[in-house]
Amino acid sequence: MPAQPAQDPITSKSLSFHLLLWSFLLILSLAWALYDEMYGLRPWRSYQKRFIEAYSSYLQREIPKQQQAEQSIRSSPEYQKLEAQWKAAEAAVAPRLSEIDGEINRINRRLGVLTPVFQEARGRVAALVYQLEIARADDRQSRLREVEQAKQQTYSLSLPGLKGDEVEPVQLSYTDLELEFNRLKDRKAALVAERAAVLAEADALRRQLESYFSEKLAGLTGQQLQGLLRAVNNLDVRIRQIHNESAGLVDRCQSCHIGMDLSLVPPNLTLTKAELNLEGNPDAPFSSHPNIELLRLHDPDRDPAKALERIGCSPCHGGNGRATSSVVKGHGRHKYWLWPLYYRENFEAGCQMCHAQDMVLDHAPVLNRGKELYRERGCVGCHRFEGFDNEAEQLLSARQRIRQLEQQKREYEQEIARLQRRADDPATPLEVARQLNERAASLPVVMSQLDAEIEQLQQRTVSLMREEKKVGPSLKEVRVKLKKEWIPYWLANTHEFRPDTKMPQFRLEEGEIQAISAFIWQMGLPGPLEKQPRGDPARGKQLFETRGCLGCHSIGEGANKIGGDFAANLSRIGEKANYDYLVRWIYNPRQRTRPYDPIAKKDLGPGDYAKHGKPFVFDLKNSRSPDGKHELVVMLPTVMPSLRLTWQEARDIASYLITLRRSDANYPPAPYLDDPNLRERGRELVKFYGCAGCHEIATLEEEGRIGTELTNEGSKPVDRLDFALLTHNAKRGILPDGSPSPRGKWYDHKGFFEQKLANPAIFDQGKYKPDPRDRLRMPKPNLTPADINALTTFLLGSVDPQVPNDLLYRPEGARKDIQDGWWIITKYNCMGCHQIRVGQRSALQDLPQYQGPNADKLPPPLFGAGARLNPRWLARFLENPALSETDIHRNGVRNYLEIRMPTFYLSDNEIRKLVRFFEALSAQERPFIPPVIQPLTEAERTMARDLFTHPAAPCLRCHATGDPAHDRNATAPNFLLAGERLRPPWTQRWLLDPARMIPGTAMPSGLFRREGERWIFAGPLPASLRNYRGDHAELLVRYMFLMTPAEQRLLISRSPRATGASTGGNE
Amino acid sequence: MTEENGRKEGPSAGVGLLESVREKTKQATQTILQKAKEDLQTLKEPEKTQLWRSIFRVKHDDTPRNRALSVLTNVFFHLHPAKVNRDAVRYSFTWGMGGITFYLFIVLTFTGILLMFYYHPTKVQAFRDILYLEHDVPFGKLLRNMHRWAAHLMILAVWLHMFRVFMTGSYKRPREFNWCVGVVLMVLTMLLSFTGYLLPDDQLGFWAVTVGTNMARATPLLGHEGPFGPQLGMTPYNDVRFALLGGSIVDANALLRAYIWHCIAIPVLAAIFMGVHFWRVRKDGGISGPAPVMLESEIKEEKGPRPVIMRPAGTKEWEKTK
Amino acid sequence: MWGDWYQLWEIVSAPDNVPIVALLFLVPFYTWYAFRQAFETDRLIEQLEKDPQLAKTHHRKTHAWQPGWPREVHTWPYLMRVEFLAAIIVTVILTVWSITLNAPLEEPANPNLTMNPAKAPWYFLGLQEMLVYFDPWIAGVLMPTLIIIGLMVIPYIDENPLGNGYYTYKQRRFAIWTFLIGFIGLWVIMIVIGTFIRGPGWMWFWPTQTWDHNRLVFEVNRNLHEWWIFKHIVPQNIWAWTVFGAIVVGLYFAGAAYLIHRICMATEFSRKIYRRMSLLQIVTMQILLILMLALPIKMLLRLVFRIKYVWVTPWFNV
Repeated sequence: MPAQPAQDPITSKSLSFHLLLWSFLLILSLAWALYDEMYGLRPWRSYQKRFIEAYSSYLQREIPKQQQAEQSIRSSPEYQKLEAQWKAAEAAVAPRLSEIDGEINRINRRLGVLTPVFQEARGRVAALVYQLEIARADDRQSRLREVEQAKQQTYSLSLPGLKGDEVEPVQLSYTDLELEFNRLKDRKAALVAERAAVLAEADALRRQLESYFSEKLAGLTGQQLQGLLRAVNNLDVRIRQIHNESAGLVDRCQSCHIGMDLSLVPPNLTLTKAELNLEGNPDAPFSSHPNIELLRLHDPDRDPAKALERIGCSPCHGGNGRATSSVVKGHGRHKYWLWPLYYRENFEAGCQMCHAQDMVLDHAPVLNRGKELYRERGCVGCHRFEGFDNEAEQLLSARQRIRQLEQQKREYEQEIARLQRRADDPATPLEVARQLNERAASLPVVMSQLDAEIEQLQQRTVSLMREEKKVGPSLKEVRVKLKKEWIPYWLANTHEFRPDTKMPQFRLEEGEIQAISAFIWQMGLPGPLEKQPRGDPARGKQLFETRGCLGCHSIGEGANKIGGDFAANLSRIGEKANYDYLVRWIYNPRQRTRPYDPIAKKDLGPGDYAKHGKPFVFDLKNSRSPDGKHELVVMLPTVMPSLRLTWQEARDIASYLITLRRSDANYPPAPYLDDPNLRERGRELVKFYGCAGCHEIATLEEEGRIGTELTNEGSKPVDRLDFALLTHNAKRGILPDGSPSPRGKWYDHKGFFEQKLANPAIFDQGKYKPDPRDRLRMPKPNLTPADINALTTFLLGSVDPQVPNDLLYRPEGARKDIQDGWWIITKYNCMGCHQIRVGQRSALQDLPQYQGPNADKLPPPLFGAGARLNPRWLARFLENPALSETDIHRNGVRNYLEIRMPTFYLSDNEIRKLVRFFEALSAQERPFIPPVIQPLTEAERTMARDLFTHPAAPCLRCHATGDPAHDRNATAPNFLLAGERLRPPWTQRWLLDPARMIPGTAMPSGLFRREGERWIFAGPLPASLRNYRGDHAELLVRYMFLMTPAEQRLLISRSPRATGASTGGNE
Repeated sequence: MTEENGRKEGPSAGVGLLESVREKTKQATQTILQKAKEDLQTLKEPEKTQLWRSIFRVKHDDTPRNRALSVLTNVFFHLHPAKVNRDAVRYSFTWGMGGITFYLFIVLTFTGILLMFYYHPTKVQAFRDILYLEHDVPFGKLLRNMHRWAAHLMILAVWLHMFRVFMTGSYKRPREFNWCVGVVLMVLTMLLSFTGYLLPDDQLGFWAVTVGTNMARATPLLGHEGPFGPQLGMTPYNDVRFALLGGSIVDANALLRAYIWHCIAIPVLAAIFMGVHFWRVRKDGGISGPAPVMLESEIKEEKGPRPVIMRPAGTKEWEKTK
Repeated sequence: MWGDWYQLWEIVSAPDNVPIVALLFLVPFYTWYAFRQAFETDRLIEQLEKDPQLAKTHHRKTHAWQPGWPREVHTWPYLMRVEFLAAIIVTVILTVWSITLNAPLEEPANPNLTMNPAKAPWYFLGLQEMLVYFDPWIAGVLMPTLIIIGLMVIPYIDENPLGNGYYTYKQRRFAIWTFLIGFIGLWVIMIVIGTFIRGPGWMWFWPTQTWDHNRLVFEVNRNLHEWWIFKHIVPQNIWAWTVFGAIVVGLYFAGAAYLIHRICMATEFSRKIYRRMSLLQIVTMQILLILMLALPIKMLLRLVFRIKYVWVTPWFNV
């Protein structure tokens, strides 16, 4: 055992080093945590710093420019002149001004001495008065005396005089003080008032000067810019957020997108990357909001700042408004965030959430296009979408409601019987019996009210049956309409035959095609169809191009295609169509071969009518079923209107169209179309592929939609979108074709929609599906990338709203009418021929035959139509544009136009909506109460005639009169119509300045000039008007509205023959 | 003195007064300086001051006695004995897991309390609060992360602690009961973590808890899907799962219950059991080892009848081997 | 799809899976660490058993000790400093971990959108994995209860006075083996399986195999009485199944009990310990071990022979 034991390893060993090391590491980690907190998680700090730099340098560049501009304005002669005037005015009043000021000063000095003494005295008196008021009765006298004494007591003070600097010592009692005090006050007030009066003119001039300056100067003044510069330079770097308590909205977007902060970048100053010298810098989110107008729209006071405060950013753009820790987090483009930022090309999707009920939105062309496509391309045929083509549903509910009401009526009848029984019962006391009888008597009234409702509902059903349309043509007509062997070819090569057709290309095996075409062919109606003699193709072509067919239809293939995209391209129609049918179709596209009975669910033939001893006649007037019980469907479910052509015209056009075919066109014969064995399989397939969604098919009229509803597709969880075997590539950013996706991962709604629309079959990739019926059914629409993007945008926006309901756009009254109207306007493609939205172009406008002076041959723009037209008349016109039962092959108003306003066979409901739409668009009160027209005195009539036939403004040179000889060259409507057609106030405004209402109108402007309160004729005044004190325009309007045929004839005799040469136009 | 002068001779009084005043001020300044010096002296050795002593109670110059006192007289340290088995300070034996667990519990309490300031256990608010923590609250993200990871780490530590205790046979007499307490603590730890899982009210927590509580459906007798449960009239609305969630589905009530279990009930329980655990460690003779090995040959055959449950006290090998 | 390392990385890098990854390293390490010390002690024990003389004088620890060295040291500073160091280290680890990895936060809870796979918190994955082999009432309720009870009774049924307070393997073979099988074999491994192997639909995906949500696997799980020769023997009615199942389970209990008994009687030493145990202790141990053994056996039946239930009764299935 050693004397000196070895060192004890435990007690001797020191841990200092470890402790030191780890303490050091601890400090490091804490420092790191601190840094992370300050900068790592706060990227917006650096963004704001960079913004300050960029913006202030921009401002420094701007300021001198602006100052220069200001300088140049100041040195401009007008400014100089105004300034001089202003100076002069001030100089003129200077002496009086100085007098006034002097006196005011002296009054002030006097008051200065007087006031304290007066106030002291008043205080004392007031206190004594109070004592008096609360004094006991026996004490009152003495108190009263005290007050009196106090009032009498005199104060000695030396008041400055009102003339000069002299001072007058005075002895004043309280009463005197009060008098003097009030006197001075009043005098002072008077002086101040006078001062203002004296200066009035000078001030007016100064204001004029300022307004002139601000008008001339575009943008902000140098001072304002200076202010901004100061604000930016000492900007405190902090989170900038929009917080809408009620909506639970917190948007920090402006923390990085600081250019959006309207307090830093005012609305009338738009920042772009270019202006900040940051072009091409992908990481510079500093530009201001590119569309301030859009923000304005969203605030009742049109204040963009308020709109931002209310709505914020994320409700429209998506993204995670709260997140500030990183760009990805903020844009919500990370896993688990359900509302990622919309990509630039889709940002209009943001509108859809709140504006789901709108068909047409300003500022959202892409979204509008998307909705348009969704409807026109027949997506809606398979995929239900709230609000789109829901006539069938409405019809159902209306009929159900009717049944309920009927039931209720029956119950009331029983009720009445019961009541009466009880009343007649001798046991019932008299009083009670009386009540029972009363009740029984009142019930029929209630029932009659029910009858009213039922009657309305039945009207509604009639309307709805008429409104229900299909995207595709009715296949009941194939036998009479199509060339037999063309059908299978079409099914197989849809897009080869017609690249821009609405019909999508289905994935069909040869067998399937045969079965389907056989079924369709055999279900087709046999006729009758009368033979038509040939017409003149040349004239047909000319009519086709001038009657307005091209507003919807296009013609010509590839580059030399012209006309509208709304309806089919007719370049190869000759290869498929049957001439006789074509003629009937062009004459009246709604003409059915047989009426359809929705109750019996069959097409009625002559036999069915014969049974009830009725002739086989069916049209809008004879639309009841032969047994007279219910309404029939008497029109084909197409939106194509009737142009009210003569049979001859129809034949000519048909003969022309029939020539449109490729010379080499020939199709293999298809005898199997008559093979009855194929029919049943065909029926199955037709059901399976949902053809009945877009086509009317015999025995399948009631088929439902086969696709999923898409109303809320945008917020369907992404896991529920069937990426099938592409899931993993999608998550790794590999496109179906194996190439890398430009935006990385595409495992999201956008990616799914885009791929699906480009080629629906793609999600079958790699799947083993030997039976074609297992494959995805969705056919391939032939969409351009732009269209795909539009539809994707639409679908992305179709989410169930995340914002509180008061933000959603669910308008009422006029705004609702506008909303409803657009659905009809787009349904019938009114904008193919008319301009309705300012800045929108109709399909016709771009046609070669309407360029230059020929623009007069275009249909009228409908700007302000609501203010122009009498709603009653408008309703009648829409119902029958010919405005005549007998002479229908013409335009009711603009007889002189070759292009023709067609008959749409609109339902009452649609007409009502359209009228309300136009009225609402031009903010007209409803119902319209026509103003009373003061009858003309004999003198006034003669004056009006003089004006009317005045050589400087010969109205009847252009305006039609109904006399064919005269109207040959007329280019404006007949005055006889004015009375019932127009609204006087509008007419007057029109006379004064038509060009402002409808740019490019042939109606001459500047016919009148202002003179004091009235408008007088601008040309040399006819003798009769020289001493007429009234308003000339107003006079003309009255005359116009009281126009009679006789009066007009008289005018014609006095005015030159119509020569519409240079002119032409709208009213 | 001067006063008397003052009373006697008027003229010289002023002078005397002046001097006396000068005299007094001199004295005063001296005493003040003196005292200042003294105070400065004490600053050199603060442990001598009253303040210091009142806090630390003992002097800390390095004597064995003070070393012992510094542990015994410190409310935090006196969990420990003054002296420990020399080999027990080695990491190799204890792995320090018990201590780490306790430390993590403290960390969790600390971070947890801070988190509670920002969290409302209501359906709409809960998730927003987490976002708020993540993006707004200063150090909120760090706080939340720490809380979660510390919880995971604690569970690991507990398991390893148990593993160690078993491998060193430290549950054997007289520490049987403390082992049981330990098992309870482990269960509580896992329950703490589990109840915390639901609080963010996100998919992860929601489904984890759903899966977890769905098992409760199948509790024999007490669950509506368990054996004999239906026979005993168990439905989704009165069985044990309903009791756990305060509803038939994981919803607002479940959130609130989870919150209360997580923040109040279980922590309190755990704290109590921990107290017992530590106290028993001391009372059962400090940590078990490293104890001197015992040889097979030294096993005592105990005499007399053996009651079925446990042998009577007094025959404790661990005492004999000492 | 094999060799999908991206998938593996996705699983391993999921912040919530970090503890399990840690588990993968910690558990083996500490097992090794414990055994190293255990074997060291065992060598010392052998030495002392050979040489009784030494046994009297030796301080009987593996750690070196010399006369003159204190047997006990002051807590302050010798223990305190270690604890302090440990605290600091843990803090550092925790801070760095918290800065680098974010606690997961997924979409707001949505009862209509089921997660696939919906996994319990990782420390309960063992139980969730058991759900594959047993009905919920066993896996979710019975098993956890038994685990807790089992752990608690360990001190009261372990009659072996040796190995109290020091690492040893030689002196506690049986106890250590049982515990390792339970802790590592049936708890840790299950968790690892539940985390890394179980993918969508709780299906079995080997590491680097893509978690394909569309994956379909054909599995017919029969009950024991419909399997192999039994389907000929057992009549097709519920009562027969009940009886049959009862018999099978009974047989298993008997067999397992006998097996455990044999193991306990294996060596002289273990016999000695076994003898010391009271009846109650033996019964408790038997039951617990039998039930514990049942788990791997049921797993085997399920994974290899696709047996669903062994015992079908009108009230419950096992």
